[in-house]
Amino acid sequence: MSAPLASDVPLLRAEGLTRSFTGRGGLFRRSRPVVAVRGVNVTLQRGEALGVVGESGCGKSTLGRLLLHLMPPTEGRVLFEGEDLATLSGAARRGLRRRMQMVFQDPYGSLDPRRSIGAQIADGLLIHGLADAAGAERQAAALLRQVGLEASHATRLPHEFSGGQRQRIAIARALATKPDFIVADEPVSALDVSIQAQIVNLLADLRQELGLALLFISHDLHVVRHLCDRVMVMYLGRVVEEGPASAIFHSPSHPYTRALLAATPSMHHRAKVAPLPGEVPSVANPPSGCVFRTRCPAARPACAEAMPPLETHPNRPERQIACWRAAEIEP
Amino acid sequence: MRRDKLRRLALPASLLGAILLLALAAPVLPLGNPVSQDINHRLAGISAGHWLGQDEYGRDVLTRLIWGARVSLSVAVSATVIATIVGTLLGILGGYFRGMVEIGTVRMAEIVLCFPPMLLALLVVTLLGPGAGTLIFTLAILFTPTFARVAYAETLSVRALDYVTAQEALGARSGRILLRTLLPNIAPPLIVQFSLTIAAAMLLESGLSFLGLGVVPPDPSWGLMIRGARTTMEQAPLLLLWPCLALTGTVLVLNLFCDRLRNALDPGTGGRSRPGFLRRLAVLAGAAEQPAAVPGLLAVRKLTLEVQGPTGPVPVVRDVNITVAPGETLAVVGESGSGKTLTGLAVMGLLPAAVRVTAGQILYTGRDGRTRDLLRLPERALRALRGRDLSMVFQDPASSLNPLLRIDAHLGEALRAHGQRQGIAARVVELLRNVGLPDPESRARSYPHELSGGQRQRVMIAAAIANHPRLLLADEPTTALDVTVQAQILDLLAGLKRSEEGMGMVFVTHNLAVVAEIADRVAVMYAGEVVEEGPVAEVFAAPRHPYTAALIASTPEGDAERLTSIPGRVPQAWAMPEGCRFAPRCEHARAICDQSAPALESPAPGRTTRCLRWKELA
Ligand SMILES: Nc1ncnc2c1ncn2[C@@H]1O[C@H](COP(=O)(O)OP(=O)(O)O)[C@@H](O)[C@H]1O
Ligand code: SF4
Ligand code: SF4
Ligand SMILES: [Mg+2]
Repeated sequence: MSAPLASDVPLLRAEGLTRSFTGRGGLFRRSRPVVAVRGVNVTLQRGEALGVVGESGCGKSTLGRLLLHLMPPTEGRVLFEGEDLATLSGAARRGLRRRMQMVFQDPYGSLDPRRSIGAQIADGLLIHGLADAAGAERQAAALLRQVGLEASHATRLPHEFSGGQRQRIAIARALATKPDFIVADEPVSALDVSIQAQIVNLLADLRQELGLALLFISHDLHVVRHLCDRVMVMYLGRVVEEGPASAIFHSPSHPYTRALLAATPSMHHRAKVAPLPGEVPSVANPPSGCVFRTRCPAARPACAEAMPPLETHPNRPERQIACWRAAEIEP
Repeated sequence: MRRDKLRRLALPASLLGAILLLALAAPVLPLGNPVSQDINHRLAGISAGHWLGQDEYGRDVLTRLIWGARVSLSVAVSATVIATIVGTLLGILGGYFRGMVEIGTVRMAEIVLCFPPMLLALLVVTLLGPGAGTLIFTLAILFTPTFARVAYAETLSVRALDYVTAQEALGARSGRILLRTLLPNIAPPLIVQFSLTIAAAMLLESGLSFLGLGVVPPDPSWGLMIRGARTTMEQAPLLLLWPCLALTGTVLVLNLFCDRLRNALDPGTGGRSRPGFLRRLAVLAGAAEQPAAVPGLLAVRKLTLEVQGPTGPVPVVRDVNITVAPGETLAVVGESGSGKTLTGLAVMGLLPAAVRVTAGQILYTGRDGRTRDLLRLPERALRALRGRDLSMVFQDPASSLNPLLRIDAHLGEALRAHGQRQGIAARVVELLRNVGLPDPESRARSYPHELSGGQRQRVMIAAAIANHPRLLLADEPTTALDVTVQAQILDLLAGLKRSEEGMGMVFVTHNLAVVAEIADRVAVMYAGEVVEEGPVAEVFAAPRHPYTAALIASTPEGDAERLTSIPGRVPQAWAMPEGCRFAPRCEHARAICDQSAPALESPAPGRTTRCLRWKELA
């Protein structure tokens, strides 16, 4: 059952993705469901890099896992080359996993501490029957060299490596099955600046060499801009702005994107605007109307009535924005 | 390290082997019949034919001890092995699949726990009749739920780890994940449980046999021997000693073996956790009173700190000089492991126990104008300064607040420790208001977990400024926070510098952009040394050390298509390059850089660098 390979079918398409978690409230009371991601649409072409930016708890990681179907969505669906991941049989979905992979944030938690890194890199090849044991070993060695480590490292255990090196190992593991699509969930957040640059450059090179599509999750707009073509800005489970990465970086439209950029400290100038007041509200109890209105400097009473939909920006056709006042703010 | 652990396993393994061998070899050993009686010599003492004496029926005690080991050990081991396998299976399935499977496995097993063990044993014995087989069955049922629970809890926590998700993302089948990934990683606590259970099973076997519910006389078992010896305790107390010794000895050997086995299986992930407690080891020799130092608040001179490495002491901070003037903010930047935090802790006199000060001075000029060397100040005098003149804010606000104490208790403590007695409640609210906590009156009465990360950091800052410190040390205070909250905290600290007149600040961070935001001067640390120091604007505009330049270039700002990265990584403390420590990663390194360690030079007034080639490169 091969998918239609017409060029107009994007590699990955997600429609109306919503995911809620019901807390274990105890025996007799059910706690309120937490809606971590609400009504998100994603389209990703082959070889495209999409950045997802937002503060902790805004649903970035949940979105990444939904796209890989590591957890089922509460509503909506994910189509990989036009095929709905939820309706595939377990075996067919496991087969598709060869083509989509993940790199995690914590380089200490994402590798099994008890198995050699060579064996972990070879896992995917063996699981999908892409190589025999000897072949997998050879390919693991080659992958280690590709990510800038030495083939002789294959027999060592993860704890013998630094954070940056572990992240390279995790990337090698993700590349082993020659995937078309990789979700990288804050892969550089736990690393030092100089090492962070190494990993960002490595991902950029690999993307070019292998034509990978990338979903790059980060809380740092600067990093995203270096790596991604497009960017999605999330707040409290919603996408509030989406468009070309460098355009949004140079002139953000949504009040939240603006505040996020202004709050990111810069080596070249000190902050000129007062920081955003207050804190992100709890996902379990979001504000009525626009999710950002409790902290938005441009909020009006009307903003409390309904959540603005994500629509094409009235004055900037290449980007989408969820703000009632988009046209007034940027005439 | 691994081999060392295996060597430590050798002793308990051979002891255990000897015990097992003795039990197994009982039929071929030159022993008598364990049940043949000799009533004439009942309770006879030690003799040539009977090394441990004879029991109440005149049977040879040594023979019965060895034959009894067969019964006792085989009952305990078989019961525990069965319980381990069944319990682990139930627990791992329940923990991995959750839902209905969990109810069918772990919860079912837990029902057994509702029965008192003796009652259960009586029930089974009544149904099946006494004997070794019944005993094994009973003990296995009794111990299975414990294994199920341990395996279940461990599976739940390991399952949430990214490397298990990574296996799912690779498309591995559940069976493969359970066997290859989960089982090895939940094994250590199960091994501990195994050793505890074998010991418990041996004791319970003795107990049940003692009550007549287990092994049937005249077959020997340690439990029966204890039972028999008890009735004649007054005449022959030694008879009680032998089986008890055998029992405790075996249990001890087993525990030791399992403990070392668990150690040997540990991949050695150590080194990630920070040293648990901080204390000040020794005060350096010499006079604490010093002539006034130049900048008027803090001058650290030639500070060197050492830890014990694999082959002797290694310096982790070497020859560090930093100064802070009143009202000034000094940022200390560098990658993780460069010695930033240790330098800060040394000023507070709060170094981890493993770290030793070997040389240097930390000159602090107090409110009274006297200058004292904190490294030579007695602990009592330093304690009076800590929390009053010198205070500190840590990276992780969650772990620096006691979860059981309310916010006002934390702040009140800080005030009371330095002599304030009256108006504490009012001052607490005032402090919380100063650090921008919304609704300070009710916040003062909440517990740490009721606050967000940013709010907890505000509370930590409130505690730090409670006694109007002269010097505030902030160690990565915004690293764990979101950008918009980080901006708020930086704003707060900048405001405090204006309101707390003359307060100096040392701000430790790895983020150059944060340095530009908050600091007047910056000290760049690399591999335990300060490699460059100077006013922030000057250093960032024209760095005089290649490491500073490389750090600036690798910060993802500006429009460059590609980030500049620094190749390689920070060398380990015990494998420092001989010459310049940055040489292996420096793009400007020449042969000379490998030979001599660069000395501090001053490229401009108020600036220093530790590079041999700064003049050529400028
Ligand atoms: N397994 C889970 N159970 C309950 N709540 C969850 C779970 N995973 C995430 N959440 C909640 O969903 C929200 C979004 O989380 P996440 O996607 O991890 O955000 P991000 O990656 O942007 O930090 C958070 O409030 C988080 O607490
Ligand atoms: S809709 Fe209103 S509150 Fe929401 S971002 Fe726009 S202006 Fe702000
Ligand atoms: S001394 Fe040599 S190796 Fe060291 S920083 Fe200067 S140029 Fe580079
Ligand atoms: Mg996340």
